[in-house]
Amino acid sequence: MQLKNDTLRYGLIAQLFHWSIVALIVTQFVLANKAEGLPIGPAKIATLATHKSIGMTIFALAVLRLIWRFMNPVPELPSSTPRWQRTAAHFTHGLLYALILITPIVGWTMSSARNFPVSYFGLFTLPDFVEPNQALYEFCHELHEFLATALFVVAIVHIAAALKHHFVDKDDVLRRMLPVKLKS
Amino acid sequence: MRSKSLLIIPLCLLVPVAYAAIQWTMQPRQSELVFIATQAGAQFEGKFEKFTADIRFDPKDLTGSRFDVTIDMASVNTRDGERDQILKGEDLFAVKQYPTARYVADKFIDKGKGQYSAPGRLTLRDVTKEVPIEFTFTEDPSGAWLKGTATLKRLDFGVGQGDWKDTQTVANEVKVRFALLLNKG
Repeated sequence: MQLKNDTLRYGLIAQLFHWSIVALIVTQFVLANKAEGLPIGPAKIATLATHKSIGMTIFALAVLRLIWRFMNPVPELPSSTPRWQRTAAHFTHGLLYALILITPIVGWTMSSARNFPVSYFGLFTLPDFVEPNQALYEFCHELHEFLATALFVVAIVHIAAALKHHFVDKDDVLRRMLPVKLKS
Repeated sequence: MRSKSLLIIPLCLLVPVAYAAIQWTMQPRQSELVFIATQAGAQFEGKFEKFTADIRFDPKDLTGSRFDVTIDMASVNTRDGERDQILKGEDLFAVKQYPTARYVADKFIDKGKGQYSAPGRLTLRDVTKEVPIEFTFTEDPSGAWLKGTATLKRLDFGVGQGDWKDTQTVANEVKVRFALLLNKG
């Protein structure tokens, strides 16, 4: 399959970015819920440490993905797509990009504010841009959870729209983000 | 006058050798006792807000020198209230049973260029083990700075019971850094 996008479909690179970020975000929700249910102890610290490392991976992938997006044509929506749906699609995509960039940064800040520096999978330690500060920690904690919930909701809308295109409109909108042949 | 100064000489001879080195008073505000622990691969710093140090030290009289430091374990501050509570708990510092830790050094090795080491003993959670320190001693007319480091293994002292014995997430090795501002007298 082609590596780069064209006006009809996403190339392999863009698909890899999309689906790897999907898998990592799902993992993040699982790890966050697991950590919440654990008593304070090494297991909780280890679970949250993995959550933080994956979060920073998502951030890095999101940055690379945006760079790749600007270097590639973006496949066009079917010409039959109504204007309000085009606006909704752009808005949703914009929100998703913003959320996968901002949520990890807020998580990182939250960790620094609590004097829990973040190690990237034990390989190196990320710098702390803020001093330990209880109020900032609490604010970031709330914001991080809010952003994660928002990401969940917007992702549901995004999935629903993709399924509607696939099963109702029977167009190539979902298929072009998959390593399969297009109908048209 | 003459008879008084003559008396001082025999009095000096009466003072035991162990007390010959200069007695210093620690300035608590400017002094710090910091530990650096590793949690999930990342280091973080904490400190003890309250500790007292009885320091007798004279580079020219190392045999008469002695450090005796008492640390109030409940004064631990890692800039996270929840973590401090956990540290004070039974599985880690157990401050209710062991409110203080103590460090005593009475053998000193001059390594030259103002560098010294001392194989002192730390008592923590009722366990006494040798923890060597490396330090510098710099004097100026107003006082002296005693600055140094040490490394210890937390599990040697039982700091970490139950789940906290795990060293994958919370490393066994803990670094210590201290800087004491001392005034004469």
